[in-house]
Amino acid sequence: MLFEIRWLILITLAGLAFGVLSPIVTARKMMFLAAAMPHSALLAAVIGIPLSITYGLSPGLWAIIIGTPLPLIIYALEKKGVEEDVGTSVYVAATASLSVALMYYVLTSYPMESSLWSYILGDPLLSTWSDVYLVTIITVALLALLVPFMREQILMGVDRDFAVSSGIHASLYDIIFLLLLSLSTIGFMRTVGYVLEHVLILLPASLALLISKSGRDVVLFSITSAVLSAIIGLLLGISLNLQVSASVGLVLLIGYILAIVWRR
Amino acid sequence: MKLVIRTENVTVRLGNEDIISDLNLDLEGPGLVVVIGPNGAGKTTLFQTLVGLVKPHKGKVRINNVDVTGNPKLAGKHIGYMPQLSQVNRSFPITGREFVESSILFRMKPPRLRVPGWVSRKTEEIVRELGALEFMDKPISELSGGQIQRLMIARTVVPDTPILLLDEPTSAIDPRGKLDVIKFIEKLSRNKLVLLTTHDPTVFKEKAKLLIVFWRGVKAIGKPVEVLKPEILREIYGEMVIPVKECVHLVDTHAV
Repeated sequence: MLFEIRWLILITLAGLAFGVLSPIVTARKMMFLAAAMPHSALLAAVIGIPLSITYGLSPGLWAIIIGTPLPLIIYALEKKGVEEDVGTSVYVAATASLSVALMYYVLTSYPMESSLWSYILGDPLLSTWSDVYLVTIITVALLALLVPFMREQILMGVDRDFAVSSGIHASLYDIIFLLLLSLSTIGFMRTVGYVLEHVLILLPASLALLISKSGRDVVLFSITSAVLSAIIGLLLGISLNLQVSASVGLVLLIGYILAIVWRR
Repeated sequence: MKLVIRTENVTVRLGNEDIISDLNLDLEGPGLVVVIGPNGAGKTTLFQTLVGLVKPHKGKVRINNVDVTGNPKLAGKHIGYMPQLSQVNRSFPITGREFVESSILFRMKPPRLRVPGWVSRKTEEIVRELGALEFMDKPISELSGGQIQRLMIARTVVPDTPILLLDEPTSAIDPRGKLDVIKFIEKLSRNKLVLLTTHDPTVFKEKAKLLIVFWRGVKAIGKPVEVLKPEILREIYGEMVIPVKECVHLVDTHAV
């Protein structure tokens, strides 16, 4: 059985990154907004292809440059008084429509060097060492900017007014979190794919909530379940000849069902 | 220690509607000030404006002679604010301890990775006084509204700010527990300026030094015995004011 260490590194980093993001998304009730991120990430990935062909650099880097600040549109709309869910709906409609339009344009106008399918389905087995370096940088940035402030990020979700009146700079935390969420969904697009990103953003914390008795537990169980599912999914995918992203998602789902049963 | 809240011509606008209009308030502590008014009177908006969460359309808020208008970070140095119970996301299972300790940690410089021993000791001391020690280490998702409210009061008190704003602090607490909490609040008001909103002013009648009837601004202010009169309250509550012998009982349904 062929096995490359970079596959393990990539999938572990994906589990770690999404395992950290997931509890914040859940505590702050940003599930709808977070589920919108893969839509804009796909748009950014598609835009990155012609830019890469025309101007050089990798499509992934272009996607990060173009796509990372996009969710700030939702933030700006919210500041203008538009409700977060409404702003997110508009954002999803715009990015999803543009993605499809641009995918058609790219497929019909450019010789394809990157398969669009790899962004939609995701496959760590197609990764290169450049992909590993890129997601390592993203994960380190994510851990450095989120882990020391996990308490603030989560407690802002529990009682935002109290956090702000206690001196927490909520807007700064909001912007940092949005940018990191966006950066991660774009950066891991080729590894886990557009479809599985939804699962990895939402399910680890949902599973952790079922078995946790404290905020600290939620964070630890979320990271553990995401990393373990990613590794088990990779090994199952390779040994049973399954699509790796799909097997990671299914392992996480089985974990969630087991947590429900265990809780009863 | 200064204990002064002053507002100068404060108007808070939501859309085209003035929620608070030309408010001039001058309160000096220590003591307990009770704010009453029906739903939609602007009581919560008043507190949010005082603590800087809401920036007024015009006017200034001064706390201890410092202009804190629309500046929660600055206001938070002087004021501890307890929002209403409905503000708390109770579905996320942080423990009561994590919940209360956050109030001191948030006021410390980041990173706030470890909880210093003195924070835990101070938290336990206040939580014990409020009779909440037995459920302090349970997740808030498993606690009743009344239990969470005790923890919310503890969370507001622990940082030891000179001024406290408590928005309906006893609304979910059972009658027996309410008495303990009222005693606790009265004790605090001996050294601090404590403002609270309530729909049940009679329980604070003997303890409060001032009572404010609020409807988009101050409609009446004075000692509780001077203000809790049917003729004053009917202007705001209408026929929902029912005099019972010497005391006045307010019937005011509260949306949950």
